Amino acid sequence: MKVMNGDEFASYIKDRFGNNVLSMRVDKFKNGVKKSEFHSVWLRVDRSVFKDVMRAITEIHDEAHIAVASGSDLGEEIEIIYHLNLFWGERNRQLTVNLGVRCPKDDPHLPTISDLIPGALITEREKQEFLGITIDGIPDPRRLFLAENTPEGFYPWRKDEDQQEKLKKLYRDVHEEGV
Amino acid sequence: MADTTYTFPIGPVHPALKEPTMFKFVMDGEVVVDVDVQPGINHRGIEFIGMRRNVLQTLHLAERICGICSIVHQYAFTLATERAAQVFEVPERAQYIRIIMAELERLHSHLLWAGVAAHELGFDTLLHLSWKIREDVQDVLEIISGNRVNYAMYYPGGVRRDIPPEKIPRIKKVLDHYKENFQMLADTFLGDPVIKHRTVGVGTLSKKDAIATSTVGPTTRASGVMKDVRFDQPYDAYADIDIKPVIPSNYGFEDAGDVYANIVVRLIEVAQSIEIIEYALDNMPSGPYRAEMNVNKVLMMLRKADGEGFGIHEAPRGEMCHYVRLKENQDNLDAWKVRASTYNNILAWQKKLIGQQIADVSIVAASIDPCIGCMDRVAVVDSRTGKEKIMTDVDFHRLSVEKTKRLRK
Amino acid sequence: MNEEIIKLGFALIYGIATILAVIFLGLLYKGIDRKLAARFQSRVGPPIRQPFRDVSKLFMKETITPENSVSWIFHSMPLIAFATALLIILYLPIGPFAPILGEYGDLILIVYLLAIPSLAIAVGGFSSGSPVATIGAQREMVLMMSYEFPLAIVVLSLAWLANINATGNAFALGTFTANPVWEMVGIVGAMGLVLLLASIFVVLTSELSKLPFDIPEAETELAGGVFAEYSGRDMAMFYLADAVKSFAMVTLVVALFFPYNLSPWIISQFGVELPAIMGIPIAAYVIDLLFFLFKVFIIMFFAVTFVRVSLARLKIDKASYIYLVPTTIIAIMGMVFIYMGSAL
Repeated sequence: MKVMNGDEFASYIKDRFGNNVLSMRVDKFKNGVKKSEFHSVWLRVDRSVFKDVMRAITEIHDEAHIAVASGSDLGEEIEIIYHLNLFWGERNRQLTVNLGVRCPKDDPHLPTISDLIPGALITEREKQEFLGITIDGIPDPRRLFLAENTPEGFYPWRKDEDQQEKLKKLYRDVHEEGV
Repeated sequence: MADTTYTFPIGPVHPALKEPTMFKFVMDGEVVVDVDVQPGINHRGIEFIGMRRNVLQTLHLAERICGICSIVHQYAFTLATERAAQVFEVPERAQYIRIIMAELERLHSHLLWAGVAAHELGFDTLLHLSWKIREDVQDVLEIISGNRVNYAMYYPGGVRRDIPPEKIPRIKKVLDHYKENFQMLADTFLGDPVIKHRTVGVGTLSKKDAIATSTVGPTTRASGVMKDVRFDQPYDAYADIDIKPVIPSNYGFEDAGDVYANIVVRLIEVAQSIEIIEYALDNMPSGPYRAEMNVNKVLMMLRKADGEGFGIHEAPRGEMCHYVRLKENQDNLDAWKVRASTYNNILAWQKKLIGQQIADVSIVAASIDPCIGCMDRVAVVDSRTGKEKIMTDVDFHRLSVEKTKRLRK
Repeated sequence: MNEEIIKLGFALIYGIATILAVIFLGLLYKGIDRKLAARFQSRVGPPIRQPFRDVSKLFMKETITPENSVSWIFHSMPLIAFATALLIILYLPIGPFAPILGEYGDLILIVYLLAIPSLAIAVGGFSSGSPVATIGAQREMVLMMSYEFPLAIVVLSLAWLANINATGNAFALGTFTANPVWEMVGIVGAMGLVLLLASIFVVLTSELSKLPFDIPEAETELAGGVFAEYSGRDMAMFYLADAVKSFAMVTLVVALFFPYNLSPWIISQFGVELPAIMGIPIAAYVIDLLFFLFKVFIIMFFAVTFVRVSLARLKIDKASYIYLVPTTIIAIMGMVFIYMGSAL
């Protein structure tokens, strides 16, 4: 484990992956009366190198902590941001890395990272069911929060045009069948 | 083996579970062979609602994700919003008031957990004792904010209310009362032979598993992992206070990751919280408590902001994260993701439960201090017909009227 | 002939009156127990008449038969439990009153009868076809097998003691009422009796399914366990059976260990004649009955209320161990002491 601050980490990734790093930002926050500082790195990488970047991160810190993966629908693409905490275990050393990756809606595939960080399984399962992406190689592909018989093709976090239609259709089912 | 096993469901509603969730156990006699956790029964679609409201409305919605750990969501959401907007300079006094509230909440949450744990062990006297002690901190919270739950204290750029000097002696009085009673509570929990017998070596989580599954909060600290956001990445006034993560081995106990270690961690954190509150009360700088007092101006600032932020707060149950993305000229949030502590502890749950006796299931399940209301937020699902439906309050009202009519016949 | 009928009618009325009184007292003691436990936990607690309300409410509620259950067994078990609990009462002396069926059964029969309500609960649990109730029933059986052994040792030791020291049938309860056990032994024997009393106190808690031995019900683990599927009248029957059995069990302890009456002591101490009507010493009966109820209360308080507010629920393996090893050893030691006491 080689401890880095936000700037060092950003330049290390930039050197290693070059143009595949689409955007990069280092946020610095000052806190308290003493104005001590911590860093937060925002990265956007290309899908082709996503798994390699993740592997590079776990090489830097093999006990990386995954906080969560947040996802959103950007219209044509779906964006997943993996929020990782590195270098925990020492006072004011933790670096938050927010690693974003996008995939087009007509090919919503991402590789799993649960082989590198087993704790990512839960959040990957959630992303699958709520955003309709496929995590390749996920050890447990079942649904997590949604029940098993939720209709296929309905993903609550999608902002598609026909999303409202699908919602209405579900309501209609209730009206027709009754309870 | 296969012939003697049977499935034993606990949930969706069960006295051992304070909130609805579903466990399916594969049992052999009284021993758990396999377990599947099926959350999702408590979904309310909070993120869905939040993305259709402006930031200040969502701030209050976030608080209502959970009743027990209400302000931790507000705290993490406020941090995320501030980091996304990057226009607020949070005053130092506000930073101190924030951590005082967060620690008071930790006090009440840990005491509540202690009571629930005692109840799961069938020790109701201890439940009532813990909750009696907990009443005092509820009073303090009420004195500060006017409410026993949902304190509505945090605000982008500061806090909503000041803690005036005349209220401080009353808070200190309660803290002194806690210091006197703490030893009694600790002796009862850590010394009672039956509690020891029920908790030592029960529901263990190894350090390796705790790190691999990214467990958070007291659950992971009980296994000896030094994870505590207040220490790893001190935010707000925590940056001024030297906090060490509470790990059992630092206090002469074993880092076993069992239920006993969980009790140890939470009890010592109660003492730690009292110290933090005292320090913060004594060293609170004077000055304004909010960067911008005008609500409309705050809304305009947030409307102009463009960016994304990730707020992390160490909740009583562990690291709590909110991801917020703001878009320029857009009132509502562009993206919002809530991640409660229990979410990251589901995998630890499975590891802890396998190999336990059925009698231990409830206390092991309770040992991570699950907060299902926080964890399940998203889909709007109903399972009454066996087929999943999306329901609205209109539908529920209609169904309820129909049922009343049916019963009248 | 006429006399026979009058005697029978009297016994019948007497029996019914006893049963009604015992149901009332059982529920009353339950209420007192709940109120006291609540005060221990600094709660207000339910009113003392709450158990009566519970029972009347349960009788009004719908009785549900689970789909997987064996219906006739499921519904008959509460009745059996209640009936046997009542039957035990008729074999026990209630304060100054001699047992109604005293001539027709002895201590061994009572020990068997005490096992039946628990058995009925277990069978009812098995027949309800729910996994929760099945686990509860298994635990009930394990627990029964564990505590029967020390209970049997206690009863046998006392009978043996009575056999060598007292005239009359050693297994009849009347013998113990007439000759209190403490008067049969010396100091060593008294120590033995204390040990026996201690072990029967431990058995008492479990026999009554109270904390820390309420493992078959275990609200937070099994959601009521054996009673999970019971509702309405069936549940009310079990509730009444529990109340009556608690009273019966404590009465047994009183009859075996503390059969003393207060009125003879008052007469000898103060030299007063207690008033009597038509040859029946009413005043003495009232004093003795109140004294008896007081004894029952004291034992109830220390064996049930006090224990259940100060301990957490044990696991079934530990509970079984407690009965099979320490409690049995204490009971056997008590027996040895009594033997030594009478051999010396």
